[in-house]
Amino acid sequence: MNVIETSGLGKQYGSTWALHECTLAIPAGHVAALIGPNGAGKTTLLNLAVGLAEPTAGAVTVLGGKPAGSPAALDGIAFVAQDTPLYKNLSAADMLHLTRNLNRRFDQRYAEDRLAELGIPLNRKAGKLSGGQQAQLALTVALARRPRLLVLDEPVAMLDPVARHDFMATVLATAADDGMSVVLSSHVLAELERVADYLILLSRGRVQVAGELDDLLASHRMLTGPAAEASQFADRPVVHVRRGAAQAHLLVRATADDPVPPGWEAHPVGLEELTLAYLREPGAGALPGPARSRNTQPSEVTR
Amino acid sequence: MTALTMPARPKRDAGLRPVPWRRMAWVTWRQHRAALGGVGAFLGAFAVYLWLTGLQMHHAEAAYCHPAGSLGCGINFTGRYGETAIIISIALQAVPALIGAFIGAPVLARELETGTFRYAWTQGIGRLRWTVGKLVPLAVAVTAAAGAFTVLFAWYNQPWAAAGYVTPFSARVFDLLGVAFAAWTLAAFAIGVLAGMLIRRAVPAIAATLAVYAGLAFAAGLWLREHYITPLVTHSTNLPGSAWIMSYWYTKGGRLVSRSAISQELQGDHHASVTHVGPNTVQTVLDPVRYLTQHGYTNWTSYQPASRFWPFQWIEGGWLLALSVLLVATTVWLVRRRAA
Amino acid sequence: MVIDKGDGAPGGGAGASPAGGRLHSDQHLRVSDAEREAATGRLAEHFAAGRLDQAEFDDRVGHAMSARTRADLNGLFADLSETGSPGVPELPRGGGSTPGGGPRGPGSPIEFRLDAASGVPTYLQLVQQVEHALRLGYLKPGDQLPKVRDVVASLAINPNTVLKAYKELETKGLTAGRPGQGTFIQATLSQVALPELTGLHKSLLGWLTTAEAAGLDQDGIVALFTSALRDFHERRGGTGDRRGAASAETEGVA
Repeated sequence: MNVIETSGLGKQYGSTWALHECTLAIPAGHVAALIGPNGAGKTTLLNLAVGLAEPTAGAVTVLGGKPAGSPAALDGIAFVAQDTPLYKNLSAADMLHLTRNLNRRFDQRYAEDRLAELGIPLNRKAGKLSGGQQAQLALTVALARRPRLLVLDEPVAMLDPVARHDFMATVLATAADDGMSVVLSSHVLAELERVADYLILLSRGRVQVAGELDDLLASHRMLTGPAAEASQFADRPVVHVRRGAAQAHLLVRATADDPVPPGWEAHPVGLEELTLAYLREPGAGALPGPARSRNTQPSEVTR
Repeated sequence: MTALTMPARPKRDAGLRPVPWRRMAWVTWRQHRAALGGVGAFLGAFAVYLWLTGLQMHHAEAAYCHPAGSLGCGINFTGRYGETAIIISIALQAVPALIGAFIGAPVLARELETGTFRYAWTQGIGRLRWTVGKLVPLAVAVTAAAGAFTVLFAWYNQPWAAAGYVTPFSARVFDLLGVAFAAWTLAAFAIGVLAGMLIRRAVPAIAATLAVYAGLAFAAGLWLREHYITPLVTHSTNLPGSAWIMSYWYTKGGRLVSRSAISQELQGDHHASVTHVGPNTVQTVLDPVRYLTQHGYTNWTSYQPASRFWPFQWIEGGWLLALSVLLVATTVWLVRRRAA
Repeated sequence: MVIDKGDGAPGGGAGASPAGGRLHSDQHLRVSDAEREAATGRLAEHFAAGRLDQAEFDDRVGHAMSARTRADLNGLFADLSETGSPGVPELPRGGGSTPGGGPRGPGSPIEFRLDAASGVPTYLQLVQQVEHALRLGYLKPGDQLPKVRDVVASLAINPNTVLKAYKELETKGLTAGRPGQGTFIQATLSQVALPELTGLHKSLLGWLTTAEAAGLDQDGIVALFTSALRDFHERRGGTGDRRGAASAETEGVA
């Protein structure tokens, strides 16, 4: 089952397309990270998936083909928006009561236990909690709904490192316990590598990279060698070149088993390096299925 | 090349029962109890004031104003309470606007302003039920409160009506009596709700609601109301004081005579020195109407008899209700298709 | 590496809820209406939480209302994650989602740590830590590895990563999973006898002295050693460990 499936999805605001020709199939049972620079369309994509916005073009379905925003979709998806919106003058207990009343399914016991563990007093107004506590409260009411898919929009942007760690630990532990899928958008690349196992890179409203993280990292190598020889790779799937006067680094699509040209070294690539390289090459892409642009080879990443 | 995946969750019940309405009722109450309480306290205080003053006025009227027009009545009733009563009735004109603006406008505006709609509209209940579950109970609440208040005001107003100082059609009290007050409150609420949805910020939405309401209220009072039912026309000069005089004119020999000609006629004779001629104004020297009638002029008056008070109330209430329904339906439709 | 010598809190985790009745001898006692009602209430909570579907819930409520002894009622909660049946004291609700908490269940001897800056993939770090613990004796055959969800909760890493590491260990034959219970050590790494270890250590020191005299600095020594190790393995044709090479292994057969 695909938790989010889009086909040719597009969203236009005024005269700009915030999202364009987006075709994705995010499988269930994963923690999918949606990354990209500001304005790339991450929030737009998430809003479309949770039913807060209507597509201008294309379609989006969730949880195995249910229309986004339909009652079945709303039932199975919990969304925590950017800045974790809460009703500031309601107490934590009120937020629990509110969420319980607005949903078919709510685990009151779990929510109360969680808040107790976190040391969040039930009778304190949400506006008086710290940023980390507010985020945890918003997450708690979302998780208490026992969703099949949790969607988080830049959940940890405002949090200090400890709060960030606790927040993600909770999300991941619930994913481990219940088999919940997670789709989250983030800038903080360094932490995503250990948190995510599916990657979507959005750039300027288009999907540039999509696939299992392990497959993506395993199918790219950084070749380092003499700058003079860099052009000989024109026929290979080179994603990005960085060169000095004598030395050049080429990010290529290759696996560890591919032979390394003599005089060159091959190194594995991390998430941050991979992301930055693709962001600097808008024409390049790494998508499952048929190639979309000149620099990719077909069926590079498959399920 | 497959990554290990987590086991899928067991299947849930396929049939999704909708979230019951009474649960949404708690949500509406909890989120708006401050505003409702504020309005309740405000109306309550007003009500207490009306009750206390009203008792005094009733006593004074009963004691001094039979017969009406006596000197004692003038001192102890009209003189003492008259000004207050007028101020009160003017102040009450603003109440529907205030209720509608402060209860109606923030419902959607606050959610959109603070971003909490991203929470509310992604809950299992869905945004349609959520919206209807808020707007309908609040509308009923404010309308009922206004209706109850009208009963109190009618009692408060009763000595004045009995003593003939205010006709039921008077612009000052018409929309405080009958069903008008409740209908105006509902309309203000509906305007507020739609303004909140369109403007998306609470304070500007409140301001816009007050402005639109004021415009509508003035338009209705000054122009619209006159045209609900075609007025009766009579050349009788004996109209009851409770009638609503709309206009009057004179004809002579079957032809309409202009006002300037009438004035000249009267001034020319030095018999009437009042510049404002009409059947109900206080006489100075001579009754101009009788004078003119004796000189061959026929006086025509168009008016609405007091018996038409309730039909007028129903008409006004009716179109306000229709307008409110339209505005609320528009709001719900906008919620449905609104993008993030 | 952190060694946990204490006992974790009991309860919680998948399939680890202690069944009521084992600890007490009153399971044959009759239950009152109040106890049946209480049990029904607890069933309703489990239903609301989604652990039972409608049919199961109705079924169990029916049993609850016709239960006669405490054993009858206890049986209804055997597979639900908290002891809620009368006659058994409420055990603390373990398996809670305390982030950064220690292991649950009977407690694993080891706890994992993560070196984010090492460049070694996370799952490989976990595999290496288990092997290291085996080598040093912290883990012995029969010991349980930390539960997946506890590792996830304390390190904030993807569950699939832990599963991958545990699968790798199973492939290597070091561990075996027992369904519903966890992952357990079943073999040891080939041990080298102590005198041999001492001999190897001594000859290594000798080699290092020679290398330093030849002008190699520490990084040079490491590079040389790594390259020789790789050559050695390639000549022998095994995949083996690629420690220090910081390379992600490609996936095996799908």
